[in-house]
Amino acid sequence: MKNASNLIHRTKPYLFVAPAVLLAALFCWFPALKGFLESFLTVNQAGKVLGFAGLGNYRILFSDKAFLSSLKITGLFIVLFVPANTFLTLLAASLTRRKSRHSSVPEYIFFSPVAISLSAYSLLFKELFRGKSSVINRILGLNSGWITEPAGAMVTVVILGVFLDFGIDYILLMCAFRSTDRNVIEAARMDGAGGWRLFFDMELPLIRETVLVTVFLALKDAILISAPIIILTEGGPFRSTETIMFYYYVEAFKSGNRAVQNSLASLVLSLAACAMAVYNIRRRRQP
Amino acid sequence: MRKLTLIFIIIAMAITAPLFAAGGKEKAETAKVTIWHSAQGANATVFEEIAQTFNDTIGKDKGIEIEAIYQGKANDVLTSVNAASGTGNLPDIAMMDATAATDMNHSQYLVTVDKLGIDTSDILACGISSYTSENGLLALPFNASALLYYYNKTLYDSLGVNPPKTLDDMVEVMKKTGTKDRAAFAGVPATFELTTLIGAQNGLSYMLNNRNGHDGAATEVLFGKEGTYKTFLEKWKAVYDTGFYSPITSGVTAEFTSGRCAAMLASSSNLASVINSVSGEFEVGVAKVPMVNEKATGGTVISGGALFSFTDSPAVKTVLEYMISPDVQAKWSEATGYVPVSTKAYETEAYKAFLEKNPQYKVAIESLLDSNPGLANVWVPSAYSVYYSFQSNIADVLNGKDIDAAVSDMVAIVEGAIASYSAQNN
Repeated sequence: MKNASNLIHRTKPYLFVAPAVLLAALFCWFPALKGFLESFLTVNQAGKVLGFAGLGNYRILFSDKAFLSSLKITGLFIVLFVPANTFLTLLAASLTRRKSRHSSVPEYIFFSPVAISLSAYSLLFKELFRGKSSVINRILGLNSGWITEPAGAMVTVVILGVFLDFGIDYILLMCAFRSTDRNVIEAARMDGAGGWRLFFDMELPLIRETVLVTVFLALKDAILISAPIIILTEGGPFRSTETIMFYYYVEAFKSGNRAVQNSLASLVLSLAACAMAVYNIRRRRQP
Repeated sequence: MRKLTLIFIIIAMAITAPLFAAGGKEKAETAKVTIWHSAQGANATVFEEIAQTFNDTIGKDKGIEIEAIYQGKANDVLTSVNAASGTGNLPDIAMMDATAATDMNHSQYLVTVDKLGIDTSDILACGISSYTSENGLLALPFNASALLYYYNKTLYDSLGVNPPKTLDDMVEVMKKTGTKDRAAFAGVPATFELTTLIGAQNGLSYMLNNRNGHDGAATEVLFGKEGTYKTFLEKWKAVYDTGFYSPITSGVTAEFTSGRCAAMLASSSNLASVINSVSGEFEVGVAKVPMVNEKATGGTVISGGALFSFTDSPAVKTVLEYMISPDVQAKWSEATGYVPVSTKAYETEAYKAFLEKNPQYKVAIESLLDSNPGLANVWVPSAYSVYYSFQSNIADVLNGKDIDAAVSDMVAIVEGAIASYSAQNN
């Protein structure tokens, strides 16, 4: 009896994680591995393997100008979105970092974007930024073409991206601000630090870890952005907002092009894995 | 220990519960026929009404029930169908357009119209040929349409201009109808518009060999070496150079109905909803698509969608026969602007009276009947990618790119799509 209970005791943790491991293996690791192996094979639309392709699929991918342009566009989106997102969420969190009687009002407003679904937001933006006769133009008195012009479309996607990530990043940062050790802050105050100095040299460095988390979350979202683009701009106008994942959506789901599907999926997965590895290495180096 | 056993029992029950639930479901007495469709807005209401009428009449007698499920735009239906292929979740019938033809032609799940044994002798000839491949009639034309030139008739009348016959005319018309705040024409052509703008050239032209991919998969691009795409681009550059052209790729209809552009090219299937959105602000006129030049006499390609079936059953056959019956086709046409595919629909008194009252609806029918029956829509792999590429390619030319260079770019893109597809599917 004692042996049996010992066995159960030892296997219990494995049993608890088993469902999660099983699901991850079934829906994530196994398909990823299959896709990686198939990226070196020629596979037809029905999934039948026709032969060995070597690096042929990757060659098809990199000779497609639309793919190369999607790389550039994703890069541009990252450059515009990540700093804008970090700056704005940090600004909102730092302005409301002190708890007071009325602070729940801005907290509620800043957090509320989380409550609405991604597709609902995208549809709303599509209507708001429709073109020259859009609501936004009427409110702001502008004459911009927004989603009907390449530059305007990119700006609209960035604004939408910030909206989508704002709520969750804000909560993370605000909680980080509020959970910092007050004693350290008070000590700095006693030493005469105040205002900007206190914020940039004490409060901000203390939540560095959380800022890093939000930056990496934003980076991940920027690399993988697809659904808002599918709804808002369909990659257009003139493929100007066609990111890597939208290109993947068109080729893999709409056209059933397995050559692109497997090679690109493997590529993006390795890219995301690299980003996560960099993040983890950085984190471990922290004292 | 006992607790653990209990947890296991609960987990086991939770896992097996759906199995019992499915097994316990009573077998329905009526045969259900699911249709995935792409009818939006007002068109969706009419489509559901048509399905409901069937359920209340023929369906009730024969024990058949149509379940109409909206799946997004025509191409989204294809995306869903491709994803469902081989999983056993395919619908009985799916409403799709020409972009689906290449995939469906190779699909092992498709049940052709010939196999279902449906009499198609009353269907428009161009409708039949538009969905016929080397494997037979792939789908039953249902929502047929034609590209039309929509214009603000109130404005045109007040300025004393007529809708243009050729693109040269169109340039002249645009100079009169455009102002600083109002574009004279909006929208960038893509594959759909180009099948007509290229297809009509020299009486009849194809973009790809094998009759645009209908007589076996296309292996060669023709719009480059036959010069038809170049001819179009040269004329379109002149359209752009008027300064009153708005090269937008989305929201064109909204610009037109709000009066911010005076003309556009759009499918006749939008006619009812365009007239509806304008709501009397101005009169909507429609005309045949302007010819690229005097030699482009081929007319207009039949476009729109068809019903693809994936189940070979009498119930599916009954539903499809109902869908192409003259009454249903007339009702569908009156409420949307689609062209009736049943020639018998044109003979009904009610439809004749309707056309008399609404002459705009006649234009699409006339342009199809006047067209070269050899015209065919394009069956090209990676249809959506090609679609976006055409628009970007045209935009490049408008922004000053050399036309010959643009043509060879576009040829290379389509050749790449064909090569990639044939490597994977032969």
